Amino acid sequence: MTKQPRMGRQAAVDFLMEYLVLFVIVALVIVTAIVEPRFLSAQNFTNLMRQFGPLSFVALGMTFIIVGGFIDLSVPGMISIVAMVTLSLVDVIGELPAMFAGLVLGAALGFVNGTTLMLAGANTQAKALFITFGMSQIYRSLALHLTGGFPMNWGTLFEHPMPVTRALSSGMWGPLSISFWVFLFFLLVLYIFQSKTALGRAITYTGGNLTAAELGGIPTKRVVVFIYTLCGFMVAVGAIVLFSRVSVTVPTVGTFFERDAIMAVVVGGTSLTGGRGNVLRTVMGVSLVILMSNCMNLLGVQTHAQEVVRGAILVLAIWLDHRRHARG
Amino acid sequence: MNQNVQAVGGPALKALGKQKAVVAIAIMFIVMIFTDSNFYTPANFSNLLEAVSTNAIIAFGVTLAVICKGCDLSVGSVMAMSGIIAIMLLNSGMHMALAIVIAILSGSVVGFINGFLIVQQKSEAFIITLGMGMLVQGVALLLTNANPVSASNPIFQRIANDNWLGIPNIAAFMIVLGVLTYLLLRFTSFGRNCYALGGDYEVAEHSGINVVRTKWLAFVLTGTFAAVAGVLAASRMNTGLPIAGVEVPLMVNCGVVIGGTSFAGGVGGVPQSFIGIFVMFLLRNCMSMLGIHPYIQQLVLGIMIVSIISLDCYAIKRKKEAV
Repeated sequence: MTKQPRMGRQAAVDFLMEYLVLFVIVALVIVTAIVEPRFLSAQNFTNLMRQFGPLSFVALGMTFIIVGGFIDLSVPGMISIVAMVTLSLVDVIGELPAMFAGLVLGAALGFVNGTTLMLAGANTQAKALFITFGMSQIYRSLALHLTGGFPMNWGTLFEHPMPVTRALSSGMWGPLSISFWVFLFFLLVLYIFQSKTALGRAITYTGGNLTAAELGGIPTKRVVVFIYTLCGFMVAVGAIVLFSRVSVTVPTVGTFFERDAIMAVVVGGTSLTGGRGNVLRTVMGVSLVILMSNCMNLLGVQTHAQEVVRGAILVLAIWLDHRRHARG
Repeated sequence: MNQNVQAVGGPALKALGKQKAVVAIAIMFIVMIFTDSNFYTPANFSNLLEAVSTNAIIAFGVTLAVICKGCDLSVGSVMAMSGIIAIMLLNSGMHMALAIVIAILSGSVVGFINGFLIVQQKSEAFIITLGMGMLVQGVALLLTNANPVSASNPIFQRIANDNWLGIPNIAAFMIVLGVLTYLLLRFTSFGRNCYALGGDYEVAEHSGINVVRTKWLAFVLTGTFAAVAGVLAASRMNTGLPIAGVEVPLMVNCGVVIGGTSFAGGVGGVPQSFIGIFVMFLLRNCMSMLGIHPYIQQLVLGIMIVSIISLDCYAIKRKKEAV
């Protein structure tokens, strides 16, 4: 998309809009640090890093779906079933193989999502929304059925010492937590994948204009199946990090993750209309979502008021995105 | 010979294909004859009717939005909020009629904001209403501090629970609203404009239809209907639950599409939506009657949603390819 040159004030406004999230983050940090000095404590920093975990992985996966012009509401179901299956396999095949199986399962579920959509010819976000919602119901009911609805606690349930899970849960390596290192690793890989490989660019083209991409020789159907598979894989990573953190995992553990992930991606500035955005923007979005709840908690804002603020910010972000898009 | 069979069988199959939901309903009614359950009892039917009623009222509103090539995912939260507002105002000593009117208007306001963001600002309907749903849900939680509230005035619960000529009031409300919406869609210029702009927005605009006002009004009505359903649901349980409508929006939108109101816009109507909602609740009811485990029920519903919406998408694709 080529931008027309703008003059003076308009350019300043555009710049501000482009990096609005960054400014909001900085403002949020400054205000909270002044009102509540504990915000800058080392303990709160560790806290923030841990909260970053599960959501950031899901949001990274969701970025590719949204850049590709689609959406995935099956995240809660996928998180539930991956977490429960992985935990149930630990005693049978050991910890690392179980985690590996969980990742494969996540990718497989994503593949099923993408294939279902493409077979049905669902080529818009709205259709994808409803189909993936139905998929989420299916996955969740399977997770419930598998466990009989009972929660699982890896800390007390297993004979296995679970070293990897423990490391993901609270391990530190240097100044950063191990889950954060894992996040940085995936961020780097996905960033290079998105900007330097043909497939990565094909995703952006597909989201920008499906018909044009198809006419340009991009196998769009395979691209869509791929982004759902990738998202499923990242959701599985998120699910593993999630159960390592919460220790007691209920089969409905993934609730609202789809919502928060979409919010993080959109707030970061990746356009819901597709074809515009990247993983770095998502990192900004996730940071804002996490920081916001951290700041509101520190400032003693009531939980339900936080919900209103989150909803308002999501609506505002979508609105600004569409305004920007309409003008550009 | 073969062609003859096709000539006879083709239209019949086509008609049957269009009425998938009716066929499903018929099958369920027949299957239930042969099972040993309390399905064919007046108590079960009135239960079923009451469960369908509130959702059908929401569905009538959503039908308007879907015909205009939109959808509304904020209806569940609006439903929860309006019930809470009605009960809280009533408990604060306000006259009941006024409290209910204000509660219903709160839904209209949400619909108005949805319409503004979708029609004026050209935001994507499903995602902006998802966000609005979150916001309104937060308001409902904030108002009640996440606790259920119950009405102190005993008359309030009679609104939905009384009978009128043997019909539960709540069903009577549904019938009246359904007929009104049907008439609105069939016999007013607003209704015809909805179909026109759902079919092709630009053509409708060029033919002089005030597309912005029409679509905007459709969303206001959707919010209003959801609020009416919310007040009735609150009256039925005599309680306002802040999390009452969590799974309502996707269920209702799916029900509307199952009935045959397509996401492609411009087709469908009130009777279809009623059938769509009815088939979903009938399926639930049958499964409960047969003692099927709730987890399996969820699985079956999920499979039904995926397959019906997929079929809808597939039909749209085929139609496009044929053109």
